[in-house]
Amino acid sequence: MPSSKMGLFALLCLLVSGAGAAKVTLSPDNWGNPAGEECVSCHSKSSAGLTEQWRHSAHAKVGVNCLDCHQASTDDADAITHEGQTIATIVSPKDCGRCHAVEEQQQRGSVHAEAVAVIARRMPAMVTNLAGPAVEAAGCAQCHGSTVRVQANGELDPDTWPNSGIGRINPDRSRGSCSSCHGRHAFSKAQARKPEACVRCHSGPDSPDKEVFEASKHGMAFASHHDQMNLDAESWVAGKDYFAAPTCATCHMGAAGKLPATHDVGMRNVWNLNTPVSERQHLVVFADGGKREFPESMDAPKRGSKVPRLDGAEGDVKMVATPDRRRQAMSLVCRECHGKDFVEAFMRQFDGVVDLYNRKFGEPARAIMQALYSTGRLTPTPFDEPIEFAFWELWHDEGARARHGAAMMSPNHVWWEGMYVVARNFYGRFLPEVRAVAGDGADALIAKHVQDLPENEWLKHPERGSPLLGVGTARSAHE
Amino acid sequence: MSRRRPWWLPGFVTRHVLFAMVFAGLCGIGVMVFLIEFDHYTSTEAFCTSCHSMELAAVPYRKSSHFVSASGVRASCGDCHVSPGIFAATWDHFIGGKDVIRQLIGADYDDPVVNALHLPEAAFSAREWFRARDSATCRRCHEQDAIVGERAGTQAIHQEDAKGKTCVDCHINLVHRKVPERATFKRDAWNRMVETEFDLEAGAADRLLDE
Repeated sequence: MPSSKMGLFALLCLLVSGAGAAKVTLSPDNWGNPAGEECVSCHSKSSAGLTEQWRHSAHAKVGVNCLDCHQASTDDADAITHEGQTIATIVSPKDCGRCHAVEEQQQRGSVHAEAVAVIARRMPAMVTNLAGPAVEAAGCAQCHGSTVRVQANGELDPDTWPNSGIGRINPDRSRGSCSSCHGRHAFSKAQARKPEACVRCHSGPDSPDKEVFEASKHGMAFASHHDQMNLDAESWVAGKDYFAAPTCATCHMGAAGKLPATHDVGMRNVWNLNTPVSERQHLVVFADGGKREFPESMDAPKRGSKVPRLDGAEGDVKMVATPDRRRQAMSLVCRECHGKDFVEAFMRQFDGVVDLYNRKFGEPARAIMQALYSTGRLTPTPFDEPIEFAFWELWHDEGARARHGAAMMSPNHVWWEGMYVVARNFYGRFLPEVRAVAGDGADALIAKHVQDLPENEWLKHPERGSPLLGVGTARSAHE
Repeated sequence: MSRRRPWWLPGFVTRHVLFAMVFAGLCGIGVMVFLIEFDHYTSTEAFCTSCHSMELAAVPYRKSSHFVSASGVRASCGDCHVSPGIFAATWDHFIGGKDVIRQLIGADYDDPVVNALHLPEAAFSAREWFRARDSATCRRCHEQDAIVGERAGTQAIHQEDAKGKTCVDCHINLVHRKVPERATFKRDAWNRMVETEFDLEAGAADRLLDE
C-alpha cells in the first residue's frame, strides 16, 4: 500500500466509529434508575416543557431517565441535594460519555472542545478591555464556553451559568457541552444534523458560515430538498442514506462512503481560517485522545515524542495527520457526489483565495503592525489606536468572511462581502492609518510590504486610470 | 358566728386549704401568663438580635420575603424557630438557652468571619429541627392543602408530589444566607469563600475554625 494510502487508512482507523452514530456499548442494566421515575411526576408540572421534550426523545424511548444523566456523587464539585437525591445540574461530556463513549472520545481535544483554550490569549484584550465581564458571559462565553464555577453555597456562579458554549470547562474539568448542538432535553439527532444547529455561533461578521452555506449551491439544495434528508435515520451515510444535499454535519462530521462519522469537527479542516494569516495545519493526536494543531511550517512532531498541548502540559504524540491527509478525508465526502477532478479543482480555487489573502493582505498587514509596535509607533495597549481596529477587522471579520466564502462556495462572500471589503479596508483605511502613525518611516514601510509585491503592481501605474471612476472615456457598462 | 359548710364541699377542705387552693390557682394563672408573655417577648426580633451574633443572621432575613411582603404579613424569629403551643415553646426556649451559653463562653460568634464559618452547622441543625417537627412552624401560616401558587402545576405538586414530604425537604435557603444541604456541603469551598469575602489569607479560615 502506498504510504499516502497507509496514512489515510491510519487516520480512518483512528477515528473509526462505524457508519453513522456509534452504538451505545453500555448495557441497559446501567440505566433506568427507578428513583429517576419519581423526578418525572413533579417535573411534568414544574417544568412541563423540558419534561415533554425528554418524553419524546430517544432517551425516554429506551428508558433513560433524569437520574441516569443527572445523578452525582456527593464529592462532585457541583453536587447538590435535591428531593433526597444527589444530583448535578450540569451533564458534562464525561457524563454523556458513560454511554456515548466513542463520541466523547472523538470530541475530546477537538477544536470545539478546546474552544476556550484557542481564544484564551485573544479574549482578554478584546472583551475585557473593550467591553466587560457582562459581555464575556452573555457573548463570547455563550459560544466558546465558560469556565463554570461552583459557589460555596452549592449554586453555579451566575456569571458562568447558564452556558452551553461548545468548549465549556465543566466543574468535573471535562471540556465541552454536548447540548450545544444536541439541545436539551430532546437531544435530537435530526437537530444536530441540520445547519440550524450550528447557526447560533457560526453566523455573523466573523464566521458567517450560515450565510455562506445559504448562499452556496449546497445551501440551495438543502433549502429546496430539506424534506428528503432522512434526518432521523439511525444510519446517516452521505450517498447511501441521503443524497439530496449536504449540511454542515455532512462535510465536517458525517459518514460518507468508507469515511466514518466523527465528533471531532475540525479533523477534516486543512487551514486555520480565523487567524491574521492562514496556515495549513498538522493535527497531532495524543495518546490519551487529546489533540492539538501545529502549523505546517513547523516540522511535524514524531510519533512517540512529547510536545506541549494548548494548555502547556506535555502530551505523548500518538499520531499526526498531515494537512494532506486531512484534505483527503474531506475530499472523500465530496467524492460521494462529485468527481475527483472536480473536487481537486474546487480545492484549488479555495486554496487560491486563501493564498491570495495571505500574500496580498494578511502577511503585509501583520508585518506592518509588528514593525509599528517594535519601533514604538504604536503603544502595546491593545485597541487604543484606530489602526488596531482596522487590522483586527481586516483578518478577523472581513478576511475570515472571504476565506470562509471560498471554503464553502459563496461567490458573494468571496468578493463583495469578503475580499472587496478586505481591500477597501486595506487600501482605504489601514494604509492611511499606517501613514498617520508611522511618520517618516511610512513610505519605506509601505514600499517594502505593499508596493513591491507583484499583486500591487497596479499601484505603480496611475496612468491606467479607470473609466469606472471617471478617468478616461466613460464607456457602456456592458462593453 | 359560724357559717354552714356547703353540702358539696368535702370535709378536708378547711378554710386554710381553700385559701391555699385559690392562691395556687392564681399562681398557676400567673405562671401561664408569664410563660405566654415570656414566649412572646423572647420570640421577637428585638430580643433575638440583642445578641450581636443574631443580628448577623437577621441581615439577610430583613431582605427576605418572610420579612418584606406586599400583604404586610411578617414572620418574626420565633414564628419560625419556636414551636407552636406554650409548652413546646417553653421547651424550645429552654433548649435555646444553650445558644446563650455558647454566646457567652463559646467562639466569638459576634465576629462576622467566625459567624460565617459556623453558619453551615447552624443551618444543618435548624433544618433537622424543622424536619423533626414536620415543619410545624411553617404550617402555622402555610396550609399545604391551600397552596395554589401562580404557576399551573404548583397546586398539583403540593397535592400529589409533596405527599410524604415536609416543607423543608424542598424549601430551604429562603431567609438566611444560602448553605448547601449537609450531604453535599464542601467545607473547603466554604472556607475559601469566607476567606475571599473577608479578604483573609489562604488557610486563615481553617485556623479560625480550629481555635
